[in-house]
Amino acid sequence: MAKKKEVLKSSMSGKGRRAIKKIPTYINGLDEILNGGLPAERTTLIVGEPGSGKTVMGMEFVYRGANNGESGIFLGFEESLKSLRQNAFTFGWDFPSLEKEGRLFLLEGRLPPEIIVSGQLSLKPLLSIISGKAKEMKAKRIVMDALDVAFRLFDEPVQVRAELHQLLEWLAKSGLTSLLTLKPREYPPGSLFQDFFYSMADCVINLDTKILNQVSTRRLWVAKYRGSSFGRNEYPFIISEKGIRTIPITCFELRHKPFGQRISSGIPSLDAMLGGGYFQSSCILLAGEPGTGKTLLCSTFVQKVCQAGEKVLYVSFEESPAALIHNVTSAGVFLEPFEQAGNLKIMGAMPEATGVEEHLIKLIDLVEEMKPQHVIIDAISACERMAGKEASFDFLMRFLNFLKERGITSILTNQTTGTKSQIEISGNGISSMVDTVIFLSYIQGEKEINRLIQILKCRGSGHSNQIRKFMIKDDGFKILD
Amino acid sequence: MKKERISDKPRSPAHYHFRLFVAGDEINSRKAQETLHQICTRYLPGQHKIEIIDVLKDYKAALTNEIFFAPTLVILSPPIQTKIVGSLNDPQKILDVLGLAKTKEDE
Repeated sequence: MAKKKEVLKSSMSGKGRRAIKKIPTYINGLDEILNGGLPAERTTLIVGEPGSGKTVMGMEFVYRGANNGESGIFLGFEESLKSLRQNAFTFGWDFPSLEKEGRLFLLEGRLPPEIIVSGQLSLKPLLSIISGKAKEMKAKRIVMDALDVAFRLFDEPVQVRAELHQLLEWLAKSGLTSLLTLKPREYPPGSLFQDFFYSMADCVINLDTKILNQVSTRRLWVAKYRGSSFGRNEYPFIISEKGIRTIPITCFELRHKPFGQRISSGIPSLDAMLGGGYFQSSCILLAGEPGTGKTLLCSTFVQKVCQAGEKVLYVSFEESPAALIHNVTSAGVFLEPFEQAGNLKIMGAMPEATGVEEHLIKLIDLVEEMKPQHVIIDAISACERMAGKEASFDFLMRFLNFLKERGITSILTNQTTGTKSQIEISGNGISSMVDTVIFLSYIQGEKEINRLIQILKCRGSGHSNQIRKFMIKDDGFKILD
Repeated sequence: MKKERISDKPRSPAHYHFRLFVAGDEINSRKAQETLHQICTRYLPGQHKIEIIDVLKDYKAALTNEIFFAPTLVILSPPIQTKIVGSLNDPQKILDVLGLAKTKEDE
C-alpha cells in the first residue's frame, strides 16, 4: 500500500470557537461521518455489545495508522495476542511485520489462569510499559480494548475509580490519540463507570447489531463529538474481508453527473418515442406486469451497447444468468458472446441471502473493478425480499446514487401487480432518482392480446405521449406503426 | 521450631531468592513488600534474598518479565514457575507455594 502523508484536518466547529485537530482513521467511510476523523490527542470511546465490532475497529485504527506513518500501541484486556494476530490476518493485516518494524506494539493486559492472586493490585506496570514504548516508538495512536474487562480485576469501586482516573490522566498528558472500547451496562454499579467514561471522552461512537426481518445488520452512530460537527444518523456498515466498510451516505444531488449523450435503446422506434433515445448517466425504469417484455427490452439494449464495445453489469435478482441468456435467444437477442468476451457480466443474486449492506458493497466493488458504462437491475421489485421494503428502498437509493455520481446509466425493471398506481409503477419512492419511465402492458382484445408500450416520464426531453402496440417476434422487439 | 515439608526434590533448597516487582510507592506494592519481609524474617532467616524492581523506573524489566500488574512476586529459587500478583494480604498463600507450614506461633 502506498504511504499516505499524515493529514491533520481541522474543522470549524462554530462561530468564534477554535477548530479542533483531527486524526483520520483511514477506515472506509468513517472519516466522512466524523467530518475528518477522531479528535487528535484526545480520547474516543467505542461502546458496543460483544460481537459489535469494537475490537476490529480498534485493530483497524492502529493498523491503518501504522501503514500511514503513525505508529501505535494496542493494549488488549480480553483477547490473547495470538488470537488478535490471527484475527488481523483474516483481514490481510500483517501485524507481526509491523511489530518487527517497530510501528506496532501489542500488549496483553491479562492475568493468565495459572497466576495466583492475593490481595489488591494495580495497573501501573502496564502504564509504565506503554509510556516507555510510546516514547521509544514515537507512537501517535493507542487502543485499549475491553476496558470493562480490565476493571473486573479490581474488587472495590473506589479502586476502579482511582485507577481509571490515573489512566485517563496519563492518556491526556501523553499526547496520543486514544481509542478505548468497552461494553455498555457491564460493570456494576453501571452508572458510575459509564458516566465517568462518557464524560471524559471527547468522542463516543456506538456500535450495534440488529436483526431486521431475520437478517442481521450493523449500525454505527456518533453519540457525542465535543467541538465538532458530525453525521448524526445511524450508519450501516459491514465487516468485510478487508475490514470495516461503511455504506456511502445519502444523496447529494450536486454530485450527480449531468446527462451525457443520447444512446440507442436498441429499438429505433422506441428511440423516436423518447425524442432520440436514452441519456447516458440517466436512470431508466421499465415497469410492467410479469411477461410484458421488460427483460427483453433490457437485453436488447445490452446487446446494442455491447456490440459497440461498451461494458454492462447486469444484476439479476430473479433469474439465473443461464436462464436469462436462454430466455432472450428466442427473440433474437444473443448475450452469450458478450459474456464470454468480458463486456457483459451477469451477476445472479438472491436478495434474501445477505443483508442490504453486503449486497451493496459487493455491487459497488464490482462496479469499481469492472467500470461498466451501464448497469441493469432486474428487478427492483425483487429487492423487497432483502429484509423488507425499507431495506430495499435504502439499498436502491444508495446504489443509484453511487451510479449517478459516476455517470453510469442504470436501467431498472419493476414488476408491477396490475394496479394502475403511478406510485407503484414508478418504483415506490425512488421516483426522484428515476429520469425515464417506460410502461409495458397487455390489453385484451376480442380475439387477441395486444402488447402496449408508453412513455410515462422522460426528464430532459420531449417524448411521445402515444400508447403504441408492439410485438415480440423472433427477431426482437417490434413497435408497430 | 520451623517445620519444612520435604519437597519432591532430593534436597530442600538452602536459599530462597525472591524478586518483587513494585510500582513505586503505591500502597499495594508497599504492603506486599512488608508482608514478604515478614515472611522471610520469620521463616527463612539468613536464607533469603529479596530483589525489588520498580517498574515505574524500569519499564523494560516489566516487559521482559511480562509483568503487567503490581505488585508481582516471582520466586526464582526454588525454581517454582508461579507468579503471585497482589498485595499479599494472605501470607498463607505464599507459604503454600513455598511448601512451608505455619509455625506454632501463628496457629
